[in-house]
Amino acid sequence: MARIVVLGAGVAGHTAASYLQRYLTKEHQVTVISPSSIYQWIPSNIWVGVGRMTADEIKFDLKPLYKKWGVEFLQAKAQRFYPEGDAEINSGYVEVSFTTPDRSGQTQKVPYDFLINATGPKLNFEATEGLHPGEGNIASVCTFSHATEAWELFKEKLEKMQNGQKQTFVIGTGHPTATCQGAAFEYILNVDFEIKRRGLQDLAEVVWITNEYELGDFGMGGAFIKKGGFISNTKLFAESYFVERNIKWIKRAGVKKIDAQKIYYENLDGEYLEQAYDFAMLIPGFAGHGFQAFDKQGTDISAKLFAPNGLMKVDADYTPRPFEEWSVADWPQTYQNPSYPNIFAPGIAFAPPHSISKPMTNKNGTAIYATAPRTGMPSGVMGKVTAENIVNWIKTGNPEIKHKASMGKMGAACIVSAGYGMSKGTAATMTVSPVVPDWDKFPEWGRDINTTMGEPGLAGHWLKWLMHYMFLYKAKGKPFWWMIPE
Amino acid sequence: MENRLVIDKYSEQYYPPTPTNTTLFWRRFIPFQLIRFMILNWKIIRIVAKGHS
Ligand SMILES: Cc1cc2nc3c(=O)[nH]c(=O)nc-3n(C[C@H](O)[C@H](O)[C@H](O)COP(=O)(O)OP(=O)(O)OC[C@H]3O[C@@H](n4cnc5c(N)ncnc54)[C@H](O)[C@@H]3O)c2cc1C
Repeated sequence: MARIVVLGAGVAGHTAASYLQRYLTKEHQVTVISPSSIYQWIPSNIWVGVGRMTADEIKFDLKPLYKKWGVEFLQAKAQRFYPEGDAEINSGYVEVSFTTPDRSGQTQKVPYDFLINATGPKLNFEATEGLHPGEGNIASVCTFSHATEAWELFKEKLEKMQNGQKQTFVIGTGHPTATCQGAAFEYILNVDFEIKRRGLQDLAEVVWITNEYELGDFGMGGAFIKKGGFISNTKLFAESYFVERNIKWIKRAGVKKIDAQKIYYENLDGEYLEQAYDFAMLIPGFAGHGFQAFDKQGTDISAKLFAPNGLMKVDADYTPRPFEEWSVADWPQTYQNPSYPNIFAPGIAFAPPHSISKPMTNKNGTAIYATAPRTGMPSGVMGKVTAENIVNWIKTGNPEIKHKASMGKMGAACIVSAGYGMSKGTAATMTVSPVVPDWDKFPEWGRDINTTMGEPGLAGHWLKWLMHYMFLYKAKGKPFWWMIPE
Repeated sequence: MENRLVIDKYSEQYYPPTPTNTTLFWRRFIPFQLIRFMILNWKIIRIVAKGHS
């Protein structure tokens, strides 16, 4: 019997758990540990944040599903890793702390033969002074509860405009090295759409603030796309979207602080500037969860398991190199920890070797650039290949890792919603292949120009809407769920 | 619904292309978008299929 412990029930962790239970017989024990039993389809949070969906439409309770599947669920959060065990426990284990009111504060040692760390990012709001979502006029759409609060605040602002008061909406990145620009980009377009749908555009100023060097960088160094007889790029694409909608933008901005009226930022020229706002939704920096790790003797080995940003080390090449020498070969393929091969970290939990976009620092020494995104589709694929590799290892007894999924090889599809509605809605369907540009394989454009594209239109909205229902159907483990790709 | 803007010359907003009314029409024209929907689905499936080994 093998014990597989999955930390985190998000896109990567839940996908891994789903395939583990599907491929393994009941003699093996799959345990999922997560601080909440709720699964949320995060991409639809942007619609919750503008009141077009409710939180209940994007989430469900995992406990009944795991019970049906025979997957053990512990509502707890991992805190310490003991990959070699200790004097009493002869296998690796994680120490977890329960989060339910009846067991709050209690800890438990959970032994494993295989560990999947799919704990995603810590939303590092503390790294930006004053960035407290839910307080004053500051919102977030990173979780369903944040998004619900964002809608309440947005509604208040709409009412103010209906009463003739002008309002400034500032949306974008809230930390000099934040990632996930795509989510903020979708949110600003949806906010703008809802304002115009109510005919309130003359009372609204909508401003995009971003750490990107150019718009459309999205943390992946931008992309070339074939469009209208030209090889164009995502910079023009994103700028065109904003010009069409009269959305202003501030780029190369590292937000350092926010108070009740103003956002304070530094730009790449080293200037200290301010932006007034009435409504702000700023994506925080992402970090690891601050886990600690110990060897059998109790010596702290956190640096062996985790990178300085707290994310887990995997089979990436972490050798520091200048931007010009970066290669797709630096990116991991198996998400296996090099020191402890029975530990894997798919999704946002793995430490990337470096960013994809070029790192930039201003004369004050402040780094201002977009760090690497890990979107839903790659996270799901990583979760699946991790499950497949563990299953193969268990079934054959051979630790050979057969299944691989590198961001330097796989593509990603991202549907950028720009307004909800079956006849009036719109979204840009964006695909990049591969996610990390491969300049050796595609020397001209870094990516496969035939499959890297961006197309705005109503069809994009239908796709995004369909994906919402399709991925929730899959996550709920409904009949033939496994036929739906990640 | 689109409020046409007045763009300051030499500002950032001065340079990017803006869609014409014809382009905006095709982006919302349901029969055309139905076809695009099928094509986009096909393109995404191809990317997903190539994604991992
Ligand atoms: C607003 C928004 C919109 C987005 N839109 C898109 C989109 O349109 N398309 C797209 O592809 N991607 C999108 N993304 C990105 C996508 O949501 C992420 O790529 C994806 O969720 C990453 O999956 P993950 O499993 O690594 O992390 P998560 O999904 O964040 O899952 C992490 C899990 O770990 C759990 N956890 C945390 N701490 C612990 C602990 N100590 N112990 C145990 N468990 C723990 C969490 O509770 C959670 O269950 C969006 C993100 C945001 C914020």
